[in-house]
Amino acid sequence: MNPQDQFKLLMTRRQFFGRSVTGIGAAALASILNQDLFGAAGVVRKDSMPLPGLPHFAPKAKRIIYLMQSGAPSHIDLFNYKPGLEKYRGQEIPASVTMGQRLTTMTGKQANKSVLPSITKFAQHGRNGTWISDFLPHTASIVDDICIVKSMFTEAINHAPAVTFFLTGSEMPGRPSMGSWLTYGLGCENENLPAFVVMTSRDKENSCGQIFYDYYWGSGFLPSKYQGVKFRGEGDPVLYLSNPAGMSTSVRRGILDDLAQLNEIKQKEMWDPEIATRISQYEMAYRMQASVPELSDLSTEPESTFEAYGPESRRPGSYARNCILARRLAEKGVRFIHLLHAGWDQHKNLPTQLKIQCTDTDQPSAALIKDLKQRGLLEDTLVVWGGEFGRTPFCQGDPAAKEFGRDHHPRCFSLWMAGAGVKPGISFGETDDYAHNVVKDPVHVHDLQATILGQMGIDHTKLTYKFQGRHFRLTDVHGKAVQEILT
Amino acid sequence: MNAHSQNLETERASQRFLPTILRAGLTAFVLLSVVVSSEAETEIQFNRDVRPILSDKCFHCHGPDKSKRKADLRLDHKETALGKSESGKTAIAPGKPEASEVVARITAANEDDLMPPKKSGRTLSPQEIQTLTQWIKQGAKWETHWSFQTPQRPALPKTKDRHWAKNEIDHFILAKLESEKLKPSREASKETLLRRVTLDLNGLPPTTEELDNFLKDKSPNAYEKVVDRLLASPRYGERMVLEWLDAARYADSNGYQGDRVRTMWPWRDWVIDAMNKNMPFDQFTVEQLAGDLLPNPTTAQKIATGFNRNHMLNGEGGRIPEESRVDYVFDRTETTAAVWLGVTLGCARCHDHKYDSFKQKEYFQVSSFFNNVAEVGGVDNGGMANPVLEMPTKKQTEEIAKLKMEIAALEAQGGTNTLQIADKPRAQKKGKKPAKQSGPVKTVDTVLSEPEKLAKKLEKARNALSNIENSVLKTMVMKEQENPRETFILAVGSYDKRLEKVTAGVPASLNSFSKTIPTNRLEFARWIVDPANPLTPRVIVNRYWQQFFGVGIVKTSEDFGVQGEWPIHKELLDWLASEFVRSGWNVKAMHKLIVMSATYRQSSKSTPELNERDPDNRLLARGARFRLPSALLRDQALAFSGLLNEKLGGPPVKPYQPPGLWEDMSLGKLSYKPDKGQDLYRRSLYVFWRRTIGPTMFFDTSARQVCTVRLPRTNTPLHSLLTLNETAYVEAARVLAERIMLEGEPTKPDERIKRAFRLATSRSPGSAELSILKKSFARLTSQFQNNKEAALQLVSIGDKPRDPKLDVVQLAAYTGVANLILNLDEVLNKE
Repeated sequence: MNPQDQFKLLMTRRQFFGRSVTGIGAAALASILNQDLFGAAGVVRKDSMPLPGLPHFAPKAKRIIYLMQSGAPSHIDLFNYKPGLEKYRGQEIPASVTMGQRLTTMTGKQANKSVLPSITKFAQHGRNGTWISDFLPHTASIVDDICIVKSMFTEAINHAPAVTFFLTGSEMPGRPSMGSWLTYGLGCENENLPAFVVMTSRDKENSCGQIFYDYYWGSGFLPSKYQGVKFRGEGDPVLYLSNPAGMSTSVRRGILDDLAQLNEIKQKEMWDPEIATRISQYEMAYRMQASVPELSDLSTEPESTFEAYGPESRRPGSYARNCILARRLAEKGVRFIHLLHAGWDQHKNLPTQLKIQCTDTDQPSAALIKDLKQRGLLEDTLVVWGGEFGRTPFCQGDPAAKEFGRDHHPRCFSLWMAGAGVKPGISFGETDDYAHNVVKDPVHVHDLQATILGQMGIDHTKLTYKFQGRHFRLTDVHGKAVQEILT
Repeated sequence: MNAHSQNLETERASQRFLPTILRAGLTAFVLLSVVVSSEAETEIQFNRDVRPILSDKCFHCHGPDKSKRKADLRLDHKETALGKSESGKTAIAPGKPEASEVVARITAANEDDLMPPKKSGRTLSPQEIQTLTQWIKQGAKWETHWSFQTPQRPALPKTKDRHWAKNEIDHFILAKLESEKLKPSREASKETLLRRVTLDLNGLPPTTEELDNFLKDKSPNAYEKVVDRLLASPRYGERMVLEWLDAARYADSNGYQGDRVRTMWPWRDWVIDAMNKNMPFDQFTVEQLAGDLLPNPTTAQKIATGFNRNHMLNGEGGRIPEESRVDYVFDRTETTAAVWLGVTLGCARCHDHKYDSFKQKEYFQVSSFFNNVAEVGGVDNGGMANPVLEMPTKKQTEEIAKLKMEIAALEAQGGTNTLQIADKPRAQKKGKKPAKQSGPVKTVDTVLSEPEKLAKKLEKARNALSNIENSVLKTMVMKEQENPRETFILAVGSYDKRLEKVTAGVPASLNSFSKTIPTNRLEFARWIVDPANPLTPRVIVNRYWQQFFGVGIVKTSEDFGVQGEWPIHKELLDWLASEFVRSGWNVKAMHKLIVMSATYRQSSKSTPELNERDPDNRLLARGARFRLPSALLRDQALAFSGLLNEKLGGPPVKPYQPPGLWEDMSLGKLSYKPDKGQDLYRRSLYVFWRRTIGPTMFFDTSARQVCTVRLPRTNTPLHSLLTLNETAYVEAARVLAERIMLEGEPTKPDERIKRAFRLATSRSPGSAELSILKKSFARLTSQFQNNKEAALQLVSIGDKPRDPKLDVVQLAAYTGVANLILNLDEVLNKE
């Protein structure tokens, strides 16, 4: 055991045995301590340790890969097969279906909102004959491994609030992201890498204006060490990771050794346990300097990897490359791996852009599932693929023109999940003839969040944090895990 | 974020206290015996011991929020809690736990009867049950929430030790320590004290000269002289403004998509100036909240009102302006409540507050003070939103007047519009041969008729006027519109769901001190700083305490409501609050009182025993020791090296930042260009703050999106990477190395190392420390000797060219040593 750990252990044991009778008066204490954060019996919690009482039950998933498709993929053109829509082509959707739905200012004033059936062709795949669009041939090949939820619905109608709602449970920025909640609750598995890693990518054409705000992976009111660490596609994968030019690893090592010695002298003088922590954080920083570049260095991957994930996977910063990195991070035990890909916001360019988006994301997403499965990681890795809402069954713009598309549609949309106790090869939920409303087994965003936390062994009603006098949780005061899709 | 991470951060602190052990699954028997024995000794106090339990575990369903109330039982009011319920049962029967339904229910064996119900996710610990029962047994004495009553100035407590106290603060601290059988620590060394107080009051480390002078000064008031010097320095305002910028959600851009740039720095400079002039805090408040409503307001008083224009602005195309405008009214209401009153009024935006006695109606009554701004909800003034104050220079004023006269004259001559003439060249631009444009334009010129010539002149003058007007410095301010807006309660805070109309007002629970109700923003501002306002002085002095000692007397400095923390030193807090008011809200006097106290001057050395007894140092048996805010880490690195540019105020600056960050975030629409030269070395508070992607050289900061009055203090490897590798820190290390090489004895590495060490820590290294540093230097020298190219690379980092006279290998080795010194725990901490 190294001296810092010994020191810490000494401190904590003494604290443990000393406090209850000799500390500040017990009654005074009780009132001071209403922050609902409890460590294990007197033992200072290491970040690798979960909060006491967690997990609440045996987890099915050890980690999560969340493939956020930002901009909102069209459920009608990809997953939700509605051949019957053809007979309504060009007709207005009846008011009995739209039920006064709030629209964005983009189509709110559009005169005709006529039905636009799928622009793609569907075929059946897998043992259950699941209908999948021909734009997603690779996803079709993993259909027996995934569960398609067709009955998702949300509350927000614009991108940023909707993404924020998906990730933090609130449309307003400022609450902790799902990954922050998980690492706060469960700690990390790997001591050389951050527990919550974020990677972003966007379509090459930059066709939609979605930007990624850093509060999407922010820790909100949780301590900032739980915020997502963004791995960047260019430059240092983690900010300030590289030593300054001219400072070799051995020079750095020497400096850090001397720094640790000097800090240990200080520690003996000041008896501030924080110094021990700092010494270990500098060590961790040094280890990250090796582990992060090693992780991002794909030169050790065989040719077959790049073939499986597709040609884009050689391009740094691409979604495909991020999918390979996601698998590598999963292998290293990173708790929450969060990919965000922008490019699905097809208001005007559905005929051209949807195909391109599918080409860029279909193969790598499917390759990731196959790769995880082949390595035995899929059984304890939960993968979620989906956007922040769906797209309207009616056409935005003039369907006879070259350019047209679909507007935002929160009432119903599709996403898929795979691995870690999610029933493979099924579809869940039903929607009406127009793919406009959910008619059976609705899944609210809070339900999905509850399900995700549940697979990690967390009762979503019990993982709370008190802030400004209120006990906050990811699912606010709602949410129910969707048991039907779980094994 | 990872293993070995910070153990003692504030948020985790409570883990190590008693209830932790309760939860930990030790046998209940042992625990109860501990608890009961200590409970028996002390009288249960409602505010301190009971209300926190009721609030946290019961008020959600039996509290102020009518819509969520169950069984029509209210436990937040004495009358209802102690009275008979409809069912004929008594919730709380004073002196009779056995007759109290509350006791029956919290101890019920039957799950159906048990309170809180299982599905609420709330449970009472055995100790909490004991406390409630004991309190009822002792007579169930009820108290108004402590912080909503005007503080009474307490008498100074008596202490056994008659010599230690230097001022009133110390009496309170010492009395508590004595009751806990603890002793204060001895005074910190002069070196430590000077560094501590200089960082605290000026945000910079002491210079070698200041250190030498202080060490030489043996007079009894040597320390006080230093304090007075620091309070008089313009650096004081630059240090003190930091927390105020976080509270005021100050930034240099609007936030949201587009994130356009704004100029609110005149407001920031106003704050620095007010702090440096020691503007009384009540005036400081009134001018920021309602300077525009003062009689004949000065330009400065108008600028001051920028406080409540610092909120984000949503410039997205699809937004409904009224929705945005209402958002801004909410932001002002909640920010003002948090900053001055320390209450979470925002909880009452959508429903009655669940814990504090704030009705939803009262929220909207307060919001009406901020609902009358002459604004439309859009971004309607060059990236900013009206109302905007224009501050032309003298020259600009003259030119504008001249051009306006010229335009008026031209118009008088019959010049009307420029459409005709303007259309011609534009039409030609659309043609396929732009190269020939000069030809036709000239032709047009030659055939211009008189009206056309006049129109052209007019167009030119108007363009010139609009150019000058656009270059005039503008800043957003508060200004009332003529026809007052009506304020309505909005259902669940939704801008278009108007319910009952309300008039201006304040929550009744906060207005026990006054018979009048403010009717406009100015009166509201004065109500906030009414000497009898129970919250404002407490909330403000508590934040000063937090700034100097790392944790407030009330740890939850953002929440003084019933869910907030019970103050660890209530009498001290009340005394400080009353003293603050008595002094005429004299901020510098309050800061001086704090730093002159023996409490503040203690050594921050701890002991294993003290760590056991009071790991978070709430009792202050030792001085505070905590990591400096990241803004100050950068400032002190610049100061050690001598790079610091001490220019005060003005537009924001852009220091080094890795390339590609803004581009990546904004899809290439924004790009970050670092400044060159002196602007790279301005103090951190002047760094350009873009809301969608804040400056990356800081950590544990506010996001500057909404009001923040308490920041986390964490300890992660990402911080280590930053202070080891970020360009400003590496350049500062190299320039510090140059400094010690040029200023020290040329042949003595020891002296140079000592100089660098002393600059950074204010003290000389001990022999063990010096030998480690010498060894380090020797190794670095040989490493760079073997790789001169690497040495050259290292010393070439940064905008400031290296000194070519200095030997590159030596400079690189000293740079390595300086990099090490800048990362010493002692240097990162206020000790």
